Amino acid sequence: MGVLTTTGLSVSFGGKRAVDSFDLDVKSGSLVGLIGPNGAGKTTTIDAITGFVSAEGSVLFDGTDISGLSSTMRARAGLGRTWQSSELFDDLTVLENLQVASERVDVRGFLRDLFRPRNDDVSELMVILESLDLADSADILPTDLSHGQRKLVGVARALAAKPKVLCMDEPAAGLDTEESQTLGGRIRALVDGGLSVLLIDHDMGLVLTICDYLYVLDFGQLIAEGTPAEIRANSKVITAYLGERHGEESAPTAAPDARGNASAPAEGMVTDG
Amino acid sequence: MSTTSARSWLTPKRIPALVAGILGLVLLIVVFANADQTQAIVLGLGGGALIAAIALSITLNYQGSGVVNFAAGAIAMYGGYVYYGLRVNGQLFLPPIPNPLAPIEGIAHLAGASSFSLPHIPVFITLAHPGQGAAAFGTFVQEPAMPVWAALVISLAVLVLLGLAFHFLIFRPLRRAPVLAKVVASVGLFIVMQAIIVLRFTSSAKSVAPILPAKPVHMPRGVSLPSDQMYLVLIVILVTIGLWALFRFTRFGLATRAASENEKGALVLGYSPDFLAGVNWVASTVLAGLFGILAAPINQSIDPITITLLIVPALAAALLARFNSFIITMAAGLGIGMLVSWIQLVSNKSWFPKAGGSALPGLTDALPFLIIIVVLALRGKSLPTRGSIETIKLPFAPRSKGAFPATMVLGLATMALLFVVTPNWRLSIVNSLVGMVICLSLVVLTGYVGQISLMQMALAGIAGFTLSKVADAHHIPFPIGPLLGATAAVVVGLLAGVPALRVRGVNLAVVTFAAAVTIQNLIFANPSWSGLKGASVNSPSILGFRFGQNDPWTKLTGSGKGLLPNPWFGVFCVIVVMLLALAVVNIRRSRIGRHMLAVRANERAAAAAGVSVSGTKVLAFGVAAFIAGIGGALSGYRFGSVTAGYFGAIPSMIFLAYAYLGGISSVSGAMVGGIIVAGGILTTVFTDWLHISEQYTLLLAGIGLIIMAIQNPKGVAGAIRDGVHLIRRRRHAKVAISSADAGSVPAEVAV
Repeated sequence: MGVLTTTGLSVSFGGKRAVDSFDLDVKSGSLVGLIGPNGAGKTTTIDAITGFVSAEGSVLFDGTDISGLSSTMRARAGLGRTWQSSELFDDLTVLENLQVASERVDVRGFLRDLFRPRNDDVSELMVILESLDLADSADILPTDLSHGQRKLVGVARALAAKPKVLCMDEPAAGLDTEESQTLGGRIRALVDGGLSVLLIDHDMGLVLTICDYLYVLDFGQLIAEGTPAEIRANSKVITAYLGERHGEESAPTAAPDARGNASAPAEGMVTDG
Repeated sequence: MSTTSARSWLTPKRIPALVAGILGLVLLIVVFANADQTQAIVLGLGGGALIAAIALSITLNYQGSGVVNFAAGAIAMYGGYVYYGLRVNGQLFLPPIPNPLAPIEGIAHLAGASSFSLPHIPVFITLAHPGQGAAAFGTFVQEPAMPVWAALVISLAVLVLLGLAFHFLIFRPLRRAPVLAKVVASVGLFIVMQAIIVLRFTSSAKSVAPILPAKPVHMPRGVSLPSDQMYLVLIVILVTIGLWALFRFTRFGLATRAASENEKGALVLGYSPDFLAGVNWVASTVLAGLFGILAAPINQSIDPITITLLIVPALAAALLARFNSFIITMAAGLGIGMLVSWIQLVSNKSWFPKAGGSALPGLTDALPFLIIIVVLALRGKSLPTRGSIETIKLPFAPRSKGAFPATMVLGLATMALLFVVTPNWRLSIVNSLVGMVICLSLVVLTGYVGQISLMQMALAGIAGFTLSKVADAHHIPFPIGPLLGATAAVVVGLLAGVPALRVRGVNLAVVTFAAAVTIQNLIFANPSWSGLKGASVNSPSILGFRFGQNDPWTKLTGSGKGLLPNPWFGVFCVIVVMLLALAVVNIRRSRIGRHMLAVRANERAAAAAGVSVSGTKVLAFGVAAFIAGIGGALSGYRFGSVTAGYFGAIPSMIFLAYAYLGGISSVSGAMVGGIIVAGGILTTVFTDWLHISEQYTLLLAGIGLIIMAIQNPKGVAGAIRDGVHLIRRRRHAKVAISSADAGSVPAEVAV
């Protein structure tokens, strides 16, 4: 039994099943990938786990059923997430973005702050920023950062809340190959440090290289799961990514050995079967 | 297909039909109650037709340009006055046009040449002269100057021009702006239209003669209805059918509907969305204005407020129809009109709640408010917000550096100033200080958390009336009385704010405005609470030292009595403003401020970061209500009384304008906002130095608000800050870069 387990997780939008009874298991301290073509229901799965869409089925986090909790309560319980498009607080500096996630407000503290605002201790947050090479940007507004840096701030903000499990929604989207590789290394390092991660990404090279275990979704259905090696060899997965016709002959190219090589076809191709 | 589960019959699409059905059912039951009630309901048809027309105008605007137009009632009122001016006086009034010569004249006057005069832009264009009147029943009745048809034609032409002006000058530049900017612009338009009418016709009611023939039409069960009301209903039904057919069967209607979903949709059909929005603006302006003209005679008089405030029931009707069904809008408008009339009748019954011996007022206004709350609560998130999630574009909220010394210096300087200036200036400084407090409450709620509130002055009034009616009546001493008032404001603010938690953006503006109208009419206008003169407020005193606005005071030099107002009251106001300003600065600098700005920037991301979005909003509602309550208590002390007219819905709108103009998201903005309030320091600069009438302050505030909404800048305070920043940046360009010390706790960011 992992730290994050879903049983029969289903999400419907107006009669259409975006996710259909999905059983997912993230073992403590492991890096689990969730992949699939566009519209497969990956982001919807993360939304359902973190409480941003209403879903059927159960979500077990750290041994307790959290499916009745609000997204705020799930976040406070230690279930963090990042967003596909960063979704930073653009009116706050980078450091303040992190502070929002790491600090709680209570009435007594609020009343005291009215008269004498605390100088909150940010040394732990600076450590997080330093580990992501963002320390120089602490006092800058996110709007002044590059796309890649904004994505990193999104990760840093999620880490500031000290999550047990982090759901990452396409952290490498829009990054170049080199940035993507560096990010992969950092995610792996976090996992080796004890964090459990559920990772969505289109960069097949990245996902197949760093993940311990993979789930593959297509049209809301789980079509395969297993270790990266097993997924590479799975013909269903290849079909889902490249379409029926290419199913057999394209197998070698769809199973890249070098990271990043297959990212373009994986992103560009849509199922035509 | 038919996978209907137990809950799914209550789909969002069915709610309007459901609510309209309930409304109809209530009506039917009541109709068969007895004859005089039936009569009252039928007599509500005329007012209902006007509400329906304003609601249709709102719906047209929403369809055409995504604007929820708070000024639709004001436009109807304006149309009524255009017609009135033409028909009775034969004059077409012009809105005030800035005269480039006026400043020259003002400077000349300042230099002492008081007889110096330059040409003025005309106020009225006289098209016909009124005939000689005949004495009837001792009153002088004027012969109308212009025949009905001519006045009507010219009025409609003016309305067309107005519609075009609204489109090209205000809403076309805003077409890609967030919904909030459009709401703010329409609030500005509301203020401008009302200010123009008060400038040209004063705020007293004018009697108007009927346009449509008004003979009683007899109906079954002994019920009769004046024929003019009958015609009004017929016209509004015809207009509704016309609009329905236009939107259903023509390419134009299809394109408008397409454009309201997606601008490209209209382009595909060969129409520019801009053209569609313009046509819809003209149509909605003419529709509202025409009904303002036709319906004003039902009450035999026209004034700048009555029709303007029909925006609340009209918004209720438009909300019921989800801003898209003309037929439901019309039915709901007529239904609300009839129910209001019925409530008026039964309010004379013995069982009806009484206040001070007469029927409890304001319940007619509470009805649309209840409808709005119920509809919004039922619908929750599935409300009409064009496009996807609207981000509220509000100016940057700076973490101020050196706020404490600045506050001390400014505060002490203001205190000193209070003792040396003339009474006139002293009064305007106090007015500005009270205004600053109200603006500070908007900084917290709208500036920091992005929740637009049109009820802050109503909350201030709650505190003021509590101070007068509860604290003073029970001899509760000074510091506790105003705090009690502010606490009452918090309670009411939370009551109104909590249902609004599920509601955001424009819908929150609708809810809070309806709440303000209800509070104003249900509580402030309650004869047992206020009355015409208002409720008195005892002057404040500590240990026997009385420092009310009109308490006598001894000069500091010891040479006898000083002139009123009492500067010590001003000193007290300065201390209150200093305390609140520092508290609001501290909010921005502390955890709660960061959480507030996170909620303002992105509610979903804030929730994912563990921020309690609802908790943050509730806290902001409470804090803002408390600050507004303190402002209400101060204004009670300042006037020695509290009146219904000073607090309430329209003043709430106007204060949003001041706060926005000053700079809604910073404390310095609230200070500037206080300076520009009517009767404040800027007004005295206008009247005493530039010789511009005080009445123009409101007009300028409205125009300023519209410009702010279009330009989306940081307010006057932000502009000053940018200027200072630019100079500082040039001077310290290198220093700033080299001093970025990454490892240490960051110092305050200078912005």
